[in-house]
Amino acid sequence: MTGKSLDLPAQPYTGEKARLTRAYDYLILVLALFLFIGSFHLHVALTVGDWDFWVDWKDRQWWPLITPLMMITFPAAVQAVLWPNFRLPFGATLCISCLLIGTWITRFFAYHMWNFFPINEVLPATMLPSALVLDAVLMLSNSLTVTSIFGGMAFALLFYPTNWPIFGMFHVPVEYGGAQLTVADLFGFQYIRAGTPEYLRLIERGTLRTYGQYATPLSAFCSALLCTLMYPLWWYLGKLFATTKYVTKI
Amino acid sequence: MKKQIKTLFGALFLGLCAGSLAPDAALAHGEKALEPFIRMRTIQWYDVEWSKSKLNVNEEVVITGKFHVAEDWPRGVAKPDATYLNVSAPGPVMVRTERYLNGQPSVSSAALKPGGDYDFKMVLKARMPGRFHLHPFFNLHDAGSVVGPGQWLEVDGDASAFTNQVKTLDGSVIDMESYGLANGLAWHFFWIALGSAWLLWWIRRPLFIPRYKMLHSGQEANLITPMDRHVGTAILVGVPLIVLAANFITDRQYRNAIPLQAAMDQIDPLPPIVDAGKVKVKIQRAEYNVPARAMTMTAQLHNGSEHPIRVGEFSTANVRFLNPSVVQPPQGEGAALAVAEGLTLDSSAPIAPGETRTVRITATDSLWQRERLDGLIRDADTRMGGLLFLYGDDGQRYVSSVSAAVIPKFD
Repeated sequence: MTGKSLDLPAQPYTGEKARLTRAYDYLILVLALFLFIGSFHLHVALTVGDWDFWVDWKDRQWWPLITPLMMITFPAAVQAVLWPNFRLPFGATLCISCLLIGTWITRFFAYHMWNFFPINEVLPATMLPSALVLDAVLMLSNSLTVTSIFGGMAFALLFYPTNWPIFGMFHVPVEYGGAQLTVADLFGFQYIRAGTPEYLRLIERGTLRTYGQYATPLSAFCSALLCTLMYPLWWYLGKLFATTKYVTKI
Repeated sequence: MKKQIKTLFGALFLGLCAGSLAPDAALAHGEKALEPFIRMRTIQWYDVEWSKSKLNVNEEVVITGKFHVAEDWPRGVAKPDATYLNVSAPGPVMVRTERYLNGQPSVSSAALKPGGDYDFKMVLKARMPGRFHLHPFFNLHDAGSVVGPGQWLEVDGDASAFTNQVKTLDGSVIDMESYGLANGLAWHFFWIALGSAWLLWWIRRPLFIPRYKMLHSGQEANLITPMDRHVGTAILVGVPLIVLAANFITDRQYRNAIPLQAAMDQIDPLPPIVDAGKVKVKIQRAEYNVPARAMTMTAQLHNGSEHPIRVGEFSTANVRFLNPSVVQPPQGEGAALAVAEGLTLDSSAPIAPGETRTVRITATDSLWQRERLDGLIRDADTRMGGLLFLYGDDGQRYVSSVSAAVIPKFD
């Protein structure tokens, strides 16, 4: 990578104007940071919830279905603002990064320090690789349709393999109480919490069954299909809410 | 006047701040929150004991006890097809190392049979120092938590000394407190670093106003440089490659990994303990006297045993009304919910073998109100329930699960 290739593109302002517009950039970025830490984190806590909170909720059926579907929402809406108006292809990465900041703050302070759960029991999942790919697809294609189909699918399909290196080791079997459990199940049994019971844990149930004992690919492709629809839906929601029609002079 | 109002609001604000800065510890677990008819007529706890009340970090305390699943299970409450014996605690200050239902190890939920008798044992290992109030309780699917008798535990020692090692089926010994943490953090840091690099790649350049202006003045081509496209392509190719490679390596590393387990335990009830046959009790009428805070049950008692029997206790929703001439009040913490002279009978003479007698049994105490059981008369289901304990002169105890519709008396 040469020094020249890292040069920034020309910009229309110089001097005081450039300084002011840069200050405005930082102002918006800081506001966006807090806005998305709060709002996206709340959205994920309310929709993905326990699947992301606890290691013994991260199953092979519902977790890879629900998580990408609920996490593609804000990235799509923010991309709908940043790309058409500024050609900035980092909306998804920004949202997921903000989500992770909020998530890690709560996991450490609320779950670990305040409620005594070991931090490994409440490790969050990451969607940063999915977000990076979504941003890259949008930038390279400059197309809502292509990003919806290929970006949305990639966003969902990359989720489980991204997180398996983090959580795979929690699926090692253990003999406990006369039964075979995973280490993750054992966390649920040993570390007392009100939501431990299997009937509260929404895992491995319903009509979304396995095919030849493979469950995750089915869930992942189901999620991928839904994400291709969820992405444009939230893109247009983002566009709708990003209107400046109420600002008369700008 | 204005100044006084300002002072008042100032004082209120300061008081609110002071209150929020020094909050009291939560001492209850919602044990009175569930409707009285559910607490009285679902899980009927008795003989619950704690092996100790003071222990050190890494030491164990054993909770044992029995419960009867009421025959008169409320119609409005889902049948106990999925239940979970749990412990209410302020977070995992203890870890549950063992749990048994009817002597059978149990790590999952189980179905209970109405009318069934069960005993339980739970072993808890102290993890955090402090003073904690714990209860055994049952999670009932679609119903809520039916809480058993509680106990204060004092734990001394150092939290950092806590160990919780488990042997996996592949033979390795893991520490549950730190297992997988370093690996998880490493992956998170890696992806956060990559994500941050992508964000910085863009944030380092002028962003909103200049780019907006350039875009709308036809200079769009200058906003995404060839280098940006190269980086984007590298991400599009490189990130999935890293993800799939790491996934492949993990698969190879943990070949024996299994899905999360979702099976339920199958636990059969014990041979009948409650209503075991020799002594029969039928409640003909139950009246609750609101001002006197007294429940009077007109009961037909039949003694089919070979010894005279006497009514010693009525227990409902963890409150114990005792007949002092038969049952001595418990010592220690259990005394708080036991009324030493709470049970009176209009006919206190022992019931002879073979005799059938109708007696009026009255359970009186303010605990009806303090435990929010008197709200029963305003519920949608106004049937009461509980366990009646009768004792033979040979020391034999007979337990009967009773229930009846309750008629309130307001004067």
